[in-house]
Amino acid sequence: MPGQKLYPRATVKKIVKAHSNCNVSKNVDVMIFLDYVLFMQTLVKEAAIEAKQGGERGITARSVKKVTADSLAKFRG
Amino acid sequence: MARESNRNATATTTPARPNASGSVAERSAVTSRPSIHTPSGLSASGRKPTGVPTPGPGPGPGPALTPHARAAFRTIESRRHAAVLTPHHRARQRRQSAMRGDVARDRERETPRNVLLSLGKVLARTTQVITTSSSSPEEGNSRASANQGQRGDDEAEEDDEDDVDDELPKRPRLSLPIDEEDEEDDADLQPHRSAGLEDDDTNYNDLTVRSIELPRREQPGGTSRFSLGSMGRMSDFYLNNANDLDDVGIDSGFFPPTVPLYDDGDNNTGDISAYERLDSDAALGRRDTIGGRESDFGIIEVPVMDVDEGTFVIAPQVQDSPTRPLPLEEEDDYEAPEPFFYPAGGDDNDDTDDDGNLDKSPDDPRGGVVARSTAEHGQKRKRNVKVSKHGVEYPSLPPAVVKRLAQTFAKTSGVKGKISPDALKAIMQASDWFFEQLGDDLQAYAKHAHRKTIDESDVLTLMKRQRQTGSSATPFSLAQRHLPRELLQELRMAPPPPAPSRRRRKPSSDEAEDAEEVT
Repeated sequence: MPGQKLYPRATVKKIVKAHSNCNVSKNVDVMIFLDYVLFMQTLVKEAAIEAKQGGERGITARSVKKVTADSLAKFRG
Repeated sequence: MARESNRNATATTTPARPNASGSVAERSAVTSRPSIHTPSGLSASGRKPTGVPTPGPGPGPGPALTPHARAAFRTIESRRHAAVLTPHHRARQRRQSAMRGDVARDRERETPRNVLLSLGKVLARTTQVITTSSSSPEEGNSRASANQGQRGDDEAEEDDEDDVDDELPKRPRLSLPIDEEDEEDDADLQPHRSAGLEDDDTNYNDLTVRSIELPRREQPGGTSRFSLGSMGRMSDFYLNNANDLDDVGIDSGFFPPTVPLYDDGDNNTGDISAYERLDSDAALGRRDTIGGRESDFGIIEVPVMDVDEGTFVIAPQVQDSPTRPLPLEEEDDYEAPEPFFYPAGGDDNDDTDDDGNLDKSPDDPRGGVVARSTAEHGQKRKRNVKVSKHGVEYPSLPPAVVKRLAQTFAKTSGVKGKISPDALKAIMQASDWFFEQLGDDLQAYAKHAHRKTIDESDVLTLMKRQRQTGSSATPFSLAQRHLPRELLQELRMAPPPPAPSRRRRKPSSDEAEDAEEVT
């Protein structure tokens, strides 16, 4: 994290632009990425809980998939 | 038996009537009743006992009766009631007196029943009368005949009387017109009203319930909008698992289906329903947000099918990511086995994607976008180009970034070890969906504000609605916690024009912020 940049800003901007079919104002992508970080936090946390409940070690694809819907629903605007 | 009783009645009444000869009476008794009627009607005015048979045609005192006859009938009825109500010995006494003394009174008492019997003979078939009103009328008849025949014998009388006494309380119920009415009522009402229904309920309780619910269950399937849409969406989640590669592409072309390494368990639950859903999904083509919202209701029925209900409930939320035809085509390209680690195979993916897209679906805007995007960001080395529902190509986040994020959060949530590539892929897909959803929401907010540009306020609104920011967490605090310093600076420098208090700032960082903003 320290040396490299956290995320490709242009990519985020492009993604949002493509999905929303709107222009994205200048520094919004930071906020968007912040939101994404929060989402990732939620997702990974839930996946970890799910994995623990399922008796898996580490986060597996199964656990992630299981909690994806939940997390997405939580981040519904 | 009924005939016998009738004959007895007529035979006994004949001496009382001077105008009717016995042979005629007998004939008439068997064949037609008006012959009985008229003499009895005539004699009813004079005598009580003969007046009694006249109510025969009607269940109660008939309309043809004279007031005298009615009075007589009433008295007989009251007597009968008394016989019913009084204790046994009184009934027996009266019985005995009737036996010994006058046959006429005995007849009086019995005549209503006889009349009723004759009535039943006329109204209903004789066999039925005999069979239905089995016990008491027969016995009554036998008793009547016995009374007439065995008047002298005490023992026989005693026995008979005992029998009669035992029967007495029961008799009026069966012989009285009320009872018949009841029976008629039963016959009439039971099929019509509650009886039949109750029967149905008791017998087909489950069936009725099912018949009520079945249409409900079928409707979503028939309309195939709500539940199926959501299911189709869910099938994405489950079918990304390698075992059905074909299905992945329908909804989500994001991820190149790769080697089926994992997830045997999920498919067990998702498989059967998933196939249906995908079919329906393909038929639907694209789901709209309305369908997604409505699927809340459709989902209620869903849990019948699958074990994983908890996940299904939230399915509609995910629905927004549209099924588009284009990813399908990409899918075809993706069918080729690829290395699933993006950094390594990313370039290859890009090439295949671009080729496939350009070849198979020459979309003008997309081509332009491709050119523009490539021109703008030539330095992007790994890019999986997908097409949004607006026909705009977009890359997905570099997996390295996602992985780093995920790993940090995994570490904080206490999971040791690396994130497996499969899990990373799932996370990548989730983040793709997340961005899709986020883009939709932001677009909605911007459009609502009549803007064509997504503003920071939109994102703030979104985060508020996501309940990420609230009283406990301000956007800025969140940013401080999660974003690096440079980005924070960007964030701060961004909106000086809107307002100094564009969001609730953390008080501690205010001064530094101001200083930076001033500079």
